[in-house]
Amino acid sequence: MEAYLAAISIIALIYVLLSLGLNLQYGLTGLINFGHVGFFAIGAYTSAILAGRGLPLPACFAAAAVLAGLAAWPIGLISLRLRDDYFAIVTLGFSEIVRLVVTSERWLTNGVQGIPGIPRLFSSLSGPASQAATFAAILAVAVLAAWMMRRIARSPFGRVLEGIRDNEEAVKALGKDPTSFKVQVLIVGSALAGIAGAFYAHYITYIVPEQFIPLVTFYVWMAVIMGGVGRVSGAVVGAAILMLFLEGSRFIRDILPGISEVEMASIRLGLVGLMLVLFTLYRPQGLMGDYTRR
Amino acid sequence: MFYAQLAVNGLVQGLVVGLAALSITLVFGIARFPNAATGDAMTLGAYSGIVVHRGTGSLALGSIASVVAAALMLLGAYGLVFRRLAGRSVVALLVASIGIGFMVRAALGVVFGHSQMVFQLPLARPYVLGGLRVSPLDLQLAGIAALALLIVFVLLYLTPIGRQMRAVADDPDLARVSGIRPARVMLAMWTLAGAVAGVGGLMLGIKTIVAPEIGWELLLPAFAAAILGGIGSPVGAVVAGLVLGMAQEVSTPFVGFTYKIAVSFVVMLLVLLVRPRGLFGRVEATR
Repeated sequence: MEAYLAAISIIALIYVLLSLGLNLQYGLTGLINFGHVGFFAIGAYTSAILAGRGLPLPACFAAAAVLAGLAAWPIGLISLRLRDDYFAIVTLGFSEIVRLVVTSERWLTNGVQGIPGIPRLFSSLSGPASQAATFAAILAVAVLAAWMMRRIARSPFGRVLEGIRDNEEAVKALGKDPTSFKVQVLIVGSALAGIAGAFYAHYITYIVPEQFIPLVTFYVWMAVIMGGVGRVSGAVVGAAILMLFLEGSRFIRDILPGISEVEMASIRLGLVGLMLVLFTLYRPQGLMGDYTRR
Repeated sequence: MFYAQLAVNGLVQGLVVGLAALSITLVFGIARFPNAATGDAMTLGAYSGIVVHRGTGSLALGSIASVVAAALMLLGAYGLVFRRLAGRSVVALLVASIGIGFMVRAALGVVFGHSQMVFQLPLARPYVLGGLRVSPLDLQLAGIAALALLIVFVLLYLTPIGRQMRAVADDPDLARVSGIRPARVMLAMWTLAGAVAGVGGLMLGIKTIVAPEIGWELLLPAFAAAILGGIGSPVGAVVAGLVLGMAQEVSTPFVGFTYKIAVSFVVMLLVLLVRPRGLFGRVEATR
């Protein structure tokens, strides 16, 4: 039981990292990033491949963050000068291309068979102790990231970001270049997604391209929208609700035994869709949202 | 010759992409958001078509079912969701369309399962025209697509409601003060966008397989074609769809089977870099 709770807490914290990154991009700055899972995948694969070549794990994590951030750079430069909805399409396309590449380049990623036996964090400790240490490590990173997000949101930099979200023309008129701010935000959020990917790879210890479908991006969107757009607490609450939902749907099968795993996957997909629609319609601010503005 | 043959093979694929892009561009031009549920409307069309075809043995009835089902789905989505989000930001509409697409795909997955279905159609010997092999099925599909496009363009360019739709696409405020009722235009537009997606879905199902993911997987090439053609330009969407469909087939010997989807992504990035208004688009729409 403790092992199970520790396991879902670790996965929940991975989603917290992803939500914090998206919250910075969408919640604070208004970027419609539909390719979050692409940066998550880059982080996971980078760290897994480098660890397989014998690099020490801290270096792998750093490489995961740097590479995911670097991948965001050209995408941002090309598409952030365009309208918001174009950016959404480009990022969605980017995440699908990442999945195509990791599926096709077998020499690097072992294709559809995936990478097995990725080393765990703290593998020198015994099972439960290693899990506890992993939990502590990711909790520390998540707390640090949340603290950074709060600092960013309250800094002059963060106020410019909110300005870009609320009225880009006004920001331009004040002599700031919104594109350069947006590119920085995209890189920071993607690097965070890369770190989340590294944690994921070293915790699950086995990655295949199928784990990085666009649905994961929309899980994170669901978390950010439900929790509350633009709020650090919202990202955390949203990720917790998402985890309850993902794990809870597993228990439905124990209560209603007639449902197959494939049907459950469809039902989960449909519920994510329903949540996205209902929250957009009735609760655009989310649960923890800022009710002082529209 | 080899490449000419590949281009001919890509023609039907290109028509499917073109129809999807036409549906996207109609919505984008008038409701002003990229409708991510287009792919799933196509999938619904393919399933409706295959069910009716199996039940009655008539492909004509199957096509009608495809068109009706997809049109009803997008009309329903408009009535229940998109209409209420009018005036909200693009992201609200975009996220809602993703959610609607997920729900439709989930429903199809639960009802029909995830195993693929195939249209049972008689095989026929291909015609040989000047060294190029053309299968009669492809000709039939191209004929269906041509007919559908003819109807759409007649509606858009020769009827009052079509003129009103184009007026709203050009300038919603000016259309309003000219006495055009937006609600009617919206209903007509969503019906048309759904019908076009239904035809595209039926063709996709006949040409390949019917499975819950087929429409979603076509969404990226379709967006790419809508952007290449110029957002809001119906002619551009169809031309760009044909170009991309053929480009994907012709590039297969160079880039391999899996990367042919990436071709449309690269084309899309190039268009956005060099000429964001696309081939036939207007200047103001992109930045």
